[in-house]
Amino acid sequence: MRGRYAAALLGVALILAGCGTDVQGAQTTSVTAAVQAGETFNDTDVMYLQMMVAHHEQGLQMVRIAEKSGKRAEIKTLAKAVDVTQADEVKLIKGWLQGWSKPVTVDHDPSLHTAHGGLPATGPEEMAALRKARGSAFDATFLNLFVAHQHNAVEMAAMERSGGANAEAKAFAERVRESRADQIKQMLNLLNS
Amino acid sequence: MRRAITYPLVALGAAASTVVVASPALAHGYVSAPPSRQALCAAGAVAGCGQIQFEPQSVEGPKGLTSCNGGVGQFAVLNDESRNWPAKSVGTKVTFTWVFTARHRTSDFEYFIGNQKVATVDGGNAQPDAVVNHTVDLSAFPGRHTVLAVWNIGDTANAFYSCIDLNVGGGGGSDPSTPSSPPPSTQPPAPPAPADPPAAPADPPAGPADPPAAPGPGDAPPAAGGSGWAAGVAYRTGDVVTFQGKQFRCRQGHTSLSSWEPSIYTLALWLPL
Repeated sequence: MRGRYAAALLGVALILAGCGTDVQGAQTTSVTAAVQAGETFNDTDVMYLQMMVAHHEQGLQMVRIAEKSGKRAEIKTLAKAVDVTQADEVKLIKGWLQGWSKPVTVDHDPSLHTAHGGLPATGPEEMAALRKARGSAFDATFLNLFVAHQHNAVEMAAMERSGGANAEAKAFAERVRESRADQIKQMLNLLNS
Repeated sequence: MRRAITYPLVALGAAASTVVVASPALAHGYVSAPPSRQALCAAGAVAGCGQIQFEPQSVEGPKGLTSCNGGVGQFAVLNDESRNWPAKSVGTKVTFTWVFTARHRTSDFEYFIGNQKVATVDGGNAQPDAVVNHTVDLSAFPGRHTVLAVWNIGDTANAFYSCIDLNVGGGGGSDPSTPSSPPPSTQPPAPPAPADPPAAPADPPAGPADPPAAPGPGDAPPAAGGSGWAAGVAYRTGDVVTFQGKQFRCRQGHTSLSSWEPSIYTLALWLPL
C-alpha cells in the first residue's frame, strides 16, 4: 500500500515535471495553494471536513484495489480518475483544517454509530470482501460497495450544505454532491451493462 | 492474518454519532441489479424522477407495505406505471444484488410478484454481508413482471422497498397465459432474442464507447482538435478540450461528469495549456 502510494505520488511528480513548461503560473499546479478557506467556520464545517478526510482515504483504498483487481477497462479507468481527484481533495481539505488549527482526523469508532441503528456502508468486512474478490465478481463487488460509499458522501454533503457556515467548505460539499451523484450514475450503468 | 492490516481507516462512526440527528437522510438500501426503479432513476436511465434519483437508498416505510414507494409521498413516481419502466431481460433464475448505505441488522428479505411471495431469505438478525446476492427461481413467472423486494429491518419497525421490472425468460412478455401482473404497460417488452435469452435489453450506455485504459502520462497521443468539454464523454490521456475559452489537456483518462470540468479543482484530470 505504502509502495503504491509512493508510486502514485511519484507519478504526479513526473507529470508535473514533464508538463512544467506548459503551466502558466505556479497557482495552476496546486489546488491547495489556490483555494484557501475563509476564517468563518462552525463545528459542522470542521466535523464535515474531518469526516471527509476519513471517508476519502477509505475511498482511496477502495479505488486503488480496483486499479489492480478490476476486470473491465472502464472500471479501472474510473478508479484511476477517482484516485487522482480524491487525493487532491484530501490535500485540500486537510490544508483547510490545518489552517483552522483543527485536527485532520476523527476518532474512529464505528460502534458508536451502531447505537443509532446501523453501520455506514463500508466497514472492515466490506474492505476484506473487496480484497478477496476476483474477476467479474470483483467488478460487481467493487461497484456495489463503491456506489454505497459514494452515497454516504452525498449524504454528508447534504449535512454540510444545510449546517455549515464556511463558504469554501459548502462549495466543496456541493462539488462532492454533484460529482458523486454522477459517479453513482456511471457505476449503476456499468453494473447493468 | 492479512485482515489485520486491511482496514486502518474505516468509517465516520464517531463524528456521525453527533450529527445523525441533523442528517437529512438516514437510509439505507436498494436493489442495484437487475436495476430497481430507483436505480434506473439514479442511473439516469429514466428521467424526471425527482428527488429519488439522488437518494435511491431512501425508500423506507413501515413493514408490510406492497407499494414500490414504501408509502413515501415524494417518491410516488415509483408507483407510476405510466412511466413505462424498462424491463430487464433475465433468465428464469434471477440474482438480485443489493447496495447498502447503512448496514442495519436484518430480519429478512422478501420477494413478491403481485400478492404472491416468491422468496424469503432469513437475515438472522445480523448485519448484512458485504455482498448480498439472492438468487430466486422465477421459472413459474415467465414474461413481464414487477418484483417487489423488501428488506425487513431487525431493529426498527421499518423496511426498505425496491421494485424491479423484469422480462423473465428473456422474452414472451406478450404471452397471454402470463399470470396477471401489475404493469399494464402499453409499451411492448423488448423483442425476444431467441438465440440468447438472458441478453440485456436496450440498456442505456454508460457513455460513448469507452477506450482502452488510458496510456501512462508522457506517451499521450496527439491531441484531437480540442473540441468543447462535455459531460459523459470518455476522454483519454492527451485529449485536448476547450472550456470557457481556454484549452486543457487530459492527464488521466476518465468519463467526464458534472463538476469534473476543467478547473482549479480538477488539475489532476486537466492541465491548462
